[in-house]
Amino acid sequence: MSRKVCVIGIGHTDFNSMTPDMQWKEIMYEACQKSYVDAGVDPRKDIDSFITCAEDYWEGFSIFDEFVPDQIGAVLRPCCTVCGDGIYGLGNAYMQIKTGIVDVVAVEAHSKASDMLTYGDIVLFAYDPIFERPISGPVERPNYAGSPSYSKERPKPLVGSTDEKERIHPYFLAGLEMQHYLRKTNTTEEQCASVVVKNKKNAFNNPYADYEAKISVDDVMSSEYLFKPIKRLDISPNVDGAVSFVLADEKTAKNLGVELIYLSGFGWSSETPWLSTRGMDAAYATKAAKMAYKMAGILQPRKEIDIAEVDDRFSYKELQHLEAMGLARPGEAAQMLEEGVLDVKGSFPTNTSGGSLGVGNSLEATGLQKSLEIVTQLRGYAGKRQVPGAEIGIAQAWRGIPSGSGAVAIFKRG
Amino acid sequence: MLEKQTDPTSPMHWRGDMQADYMYTNGVAGDRFFRHLMEKDTFLATKCKKCGKVLFPARLYCEDCFQEISESDWLEVPATGTVRVFTVATINAHGKKMEEPKIIALIDIDKTDGALLGIIKTKDLKRDFCGVKVKAVFKPKEKREGTLKDILYFEEKI
Repeated sequence: MSRKVCVIGIGHTDFNSMTPDMQWKEIMYEACQKSYVDAGVDPRKDIDSFITCAEDYWEGFSIFDEFVPDQIGAVLRPCCTVCGDGIYGLGNAYMQIKTGIVDVVAVEAHSKASDMLTYGDIVLFAYDPIFERPISGPVERPNYAGSPSYSKERPKPLVGSTDEKERIHPYFLAGLEMQHYLRKTNTTEEQCASVVVKNKKNAFNNPYADYEAKISVDDVMSSEYLFKPIKRLDISPNVDGAVSFVLADEKTAKNLGVELIYLSGFGWSSETPWLSTRGMDAAYATKAAKMAYKMAGILQPRKEIDIAEVDDRFSYKELQHLEAMGLARPGEAAQMLEEGVLDVKGSFPTNTSGGSLGVGNSLEATGLQKSLEIVTQLRGYAGKRQVPGAEIGIAQAWRGIPSGSGAVAIFKRG
Repeated sequence: MLEKQTDPTSPMHWRGDMQADYMYTNGVAGDRFFRHLMEKDTFLATKCKKCGKVLFPARLYCEDCFQEISESDWLEVPATGTVRVFTVATINAHGKKMEEPKIIALIDIDKTDGALLGIIKTKDLKRDFCGVKVKAVFKPKEKREGTLKDILYFEEKI
């Protein structure tokens, strides 16, 4: 049980706002092939188990895992899908390797967000259908559930009808949460806007990022309110892309002669799905981080960790997550940001990849994109955005609106 | 990959849709909650025997203690509460501007430890609603269907 787990290969596609030329299977193939080449393994012989991370509704068909094996080299091999962010796949790979039943595991997650024509409505499907979803607006369909309004009429098609135009976008929940965060911590909208400025700037030095931009706090502040206090530029726009990891036990990693980057800690946690009783302080991140710190033997996370990639799918989320994970004191993340602590050249570089604000929101690939940045940094291959001497890095991902779940992975250079 | 499509006019696609209609059952607790709502202008909540938490909307088990709720744990609470946070939403699910912005609030329901999402009806879109006391406005009883839509909106309680 004392086996250590290493990342031996990473691969990714370019991240683009749309990918009309390639199918989702083909971007998976590209990312996986690159990670297998990076690790120096043949998937048909050397990889013992394959894990993909996806959500049926993102993909647009049922039972996603059945559509997996061919494009990742997993036909007639142990293969499974984790319904969630790619970072959960790392945790599952860690456990599989720890048991000793497998030595080498591939993990993949991707986003083909541009395939979705009704993204907002698909996200609305994640809200409780009885107590929450109806709030987003009228869905004038007959109620079949034995109610007095039982109707024999055929359901009215929704597309193009007036009620559809008034159905509120599901991101309203982030507006509620951001307001809670601002009030509780006395953080300002301008400070959240600074997160956007920083991350989009960082993205200039990340060749695969798709939403790099040189903008000012004023630009963010003057973008229109969509879910006050959230403005258009506070939101990470969707992006397509795929990321693949290969993990192995330490002995196999040494035999392959690759650089040793250890997955030294992992944690995950889920809050209640009920918005009625759930807190708004990202407790899922607090719990997941604590679990990961304990596993990695980290006692003073802020001091011991050199670099962080935290979920920033909305600007305030970066600050909220840093505080929730104990990487900033409550209410002080904005101050760290203003003092330059979170910059690439600061003492606690955060989202050097550009984060989701700079790279794009890659849906279930988010956690792997963040892990990819940490591993790249620990290997020392991050180019202009390289943080010198980074030894320990942390990646965190949240499952997005309206979830209260997330996971944390800690990587350490060997 | 050796070959990719480079002609922007060449990529083809199949446009499909998912017929995904469901009959979501309210469940034992939900059924009782909504049957009550059809008759009265109040809500139902359940109180956990073990920790004392008043669960709202009413449920059959406590999420903190895993304690089952029994018949004597049901209570009627007023359809009033305090706005914890609110947001002004301006775009619809397709990302297009709605005709009128809508105020969605998370309302801490009085005498419970739970909250409910509600639309606040107001003409003052600039107002700070945090901490404001509100009450639910229901459909006329004869028009209620036993769904969340029986609550038309929330308005300031004067």
